[in-house]
Amino acid sequence: MVEWEYNNYLMVVKVLNDFLSKLNSQCSCVLQQRIEIRKLRQGEHLILGFSIGGGIDQDPGQNPFSEDKSDKGIYVTRVTPEGPAEVAGLMMGDKVMQVNGWDMTMVTHDQARKRLTKKNEDVVRLLVTRKSLEQAVKHSMM
Amino acid sequence: MPMDRYADMEDKLRILEDLNMMYIRQIALSLQDSDIQKKIDHEIRMRDGACKLLAACSQRDQALEAAKSLLTCNTRIMAYMSELQRMKEAQVMQRVARRSDGTRSSDAGPMDDRLPCKGKVAISDLRIPLMWKDTEYFKNKGELHRCAVFCLLQVGGEIHDTDMVMVDRTLTDICFDNTIVFSEASPGFELRVELYSCCSEEDYSAGSAPRKLASKLSSSLGRSAGKKLRVAMDPGACSPTSNAGAATLLLPGPAVAGPKYHLLAHTSLSLSHVQDSFRTHDLSISGNEECSYWVPLYGSVCCRLAAQPHCMTQQMMSGCLKVKQLGGDPPSWTNVYGVLKGTNLFCYHRQEDMEANVEPAFTIAINKETRIRASEKDPHSKAQSICISNQYGGEEVTHTLSADSREETHRWMEAFWQQFCDMSQWKQCCDDLMKIELPSPRKPALVTSKQGSLYHEIVIDTSDDISTVTDILTRRMQELELRSQLGTSPPWMSLFEESPGGPRTPRLARHSPRSPHRLPHSPLSSLRCPWPGLLSSDASLTSDSDSPCSTSPCSRHRGWAEPLSLSSPRFRPRTLSLDAKLSTLRGRGYGGVLQCSCQPPSSSSLAPIPAQCVPQATLSCSSSTSSNSSSEGSHSPSSLDGTPFSRPSSARRSLRNLRAKLDPRNWLQSQV
Repeated sequence: MVEWEYNNYLMVVKVLNDFLSKLNSQCSCVLQQRIEIRKLRQGEHLILGFSIGGGIDQDPGQNPFSEDKSDKGIYVTRVTPEGPAEVAGLMMGDKVMQVNGWDMTMVTHDQARKRLTKKNEDVVRLLVTRKSLEQAVKHSMM
Repeated sequence: MPMDRYADMEDKLRILEDLNMMYIRQIALSLQDSDIQKKIDHEIRMRDGACKLLAACSQRDQALEAAKSLLTCNTRIMAYMSELQRMKEAQVMQRVARRSDGTRSSDAGPMDDRLPCKGKVAISDLRIPLMWKDTEYFKNKGELHRCAVFCLLQVGGEIHDTDMVMVDRTLTDICFDNTIVFSEASPGFELRVELYSCCSEEDYSAGSAPRKLASKLSSSLGRSAGKKLRVAMDPGACSPTSNAGAATLLLPGPAVAGPKYHLLAHTSLSLSHVQDSFRTHDLSISGNEECSYWVPLYGSVCCRLAAQPHCMTQQMMSGCLKVKQLGGDPPSWTNVYGVLKGTNLFCYHRQEDMEANVEPAFTIAINKETRIRASEKDPHSKAQSICISNQYGGEEVTHTLSADSREETHRWMEAFWQQFCDMSQWKQCCDDLMKIELPSPRKPALVTSKQGSLYHEIVIDTSDDISTVTDILTRRMQELELRSQLGTSPPWMSLFEESPGGPRTPRLARHSPRSPHRLPHSPLSSLRCPWPGLLSSDASLTSDSDSPCSTSPCSRHRGWAEPLSLSSPRFRPRTLSLDAKLSTLRGRGYGGVLQCSCQPPSSSSLAPIPAQCVPQATLSCSSSTSSNSSSEGSHSPSSLDGTPFSRPSSARRSLRNLRAKLDPRNWLQSQV
């Protein structure tokens, strides 16, 4: 019973998110997107379903997603299919700017990981920026 | 006349100071605490000496050192004064309480009165990373902007300072080599670390004294102290002596012309930060780029904070005990000499054994999981016995001890309770004894012209050609091949033997080019082959080459089909990049290198493909997602070149995982 509800919820959320992202990509003034991810309980862990890379203690030149190779921000490197992050609309290559209000542009890799995996938080609200968004803006401005 | 005003202010300051000292002395007398008074007097003498030195010296270094001792003395004086004040307040409160109560507060249960033991707290290897930017940061007068920095460490009333370090752009970190030990710290200690800095370019000439004095006076008094001073200087304001109980006017001391240190950053460490290894802590930075004493800090400080509670290093209790032998009826007792120290109760046959450092007969663990109770009176003996239960791997083992008399038993129980109290207060410090190296007797301060930074330490000789390196490495490979033939190959060799294709199979992972649109550089730079295809942790050395890996498939293929030769390479890649050299130097340590053959310089200059040799990345740390592939997490090029390979075993994988995580050149990825 619970499973069905959750699947239902996932579907609804997914539809909403698709709609929102379409809106976003068409809207020429949006450079950043707010994504709310509800953590999923797997055993004794709360997972979000994506992987991050980057950090001020990492070598930015090895980031395959950043345009500017000196950008030491936190990027989403992987999104687990059908996981909470994908459902919420997070995409690979997104740059995470904020997590629940905490800045993520000037943090170490470990600090970033910790801010996402706080045990007492069920929901993380991310502020992300996406190349496609920026490009869309640039195109619309040219 | 302005000069008169400053002289006037100076006089007033001095008078206030004298009054303050009188007040402090009165307090000390009333408390009958001559100890603190002596310390204050000592510090004041030191301070006077430092002031005189500062006024007299002409050398900048001397002035900075003298200013540092001045600041330390001042801080110590303030600390002693506030401690004195606190003691006075406590005394007054107690008297008031007693008067109103009429009786002394009764002793509560034994646990409430128990105070945890004190311990030694040591902080060492302080390192503060810096973050220099490329942009013009300082008002550059053509010279290297230098600052003098040092740290002040404070636990309670104990204040220590580190040596002074000169900081300029060539430094990547500020390192303080001192080990500072605080001998009597309680478990609730707060270690305050303060970083002071001072610009070392000002002119400290004696001229223009009044203006300098005025600016020093106004800047030397902090905002709160200045406010207090203004209040005190108001005619009709209450005198310091009537401020008993309230904050006394604590003056920072005489203002002296000379270099002045400012607080740049601070942080507080406590028991939760104590660990037997290096840790990074955040710093709170005060000040900004506009200040003259600004040094661009990364925002964190690394240090090793260790604590040795006395219960772990000293004998808390010792005496004769009788231990009941398990089994047998009637029970037999063995006489032992027990010593409670740390997390163990050592039982020696005789007292002399302990003094002679002979191994104890047996050891009973007394740790957080131990349960101790005094059992009912044993019908066979007169005194109560003590039962100590421990869990050894799921099984409960109980030792029964008995002391000679009731008082002894009581004393032992007290000692055990005290031990438990200490362990609960000192938490992780009682798991294992942390090592604290006592600082060696202080040598006279060596003034080094430039503190070595990592970049200075790495010696890269221009005569070091890569060819010499390849020679060494090929020799080593040959040696290893010989050895492998003999059957004793190093473990990593099997990595190459694993794949069905043998060592000739290229194990290549692709790296996405930095920017597929950027034009390739000159031949030299584009040939920056990631020389060390190190098998262990350099999983993701990128070549700076902007070779369009993603473009012509034929060139791609060409690069990959190139057989790898373990013996002398066909081509000698010429590269001068620092990255490569650094990795090479590391490669020597790892003792093995997979050589990659690159296209020779003579071939097409526009599309050389460096064959990147990287151990197959099962690591999450390798960042080799090609720009085209959107496969998540898949780092294998096998789909692209069709060469099968097998994954190395999980043990090697985990070792490489660890190495990769520790290797700063990897681009870590974490799953959340």
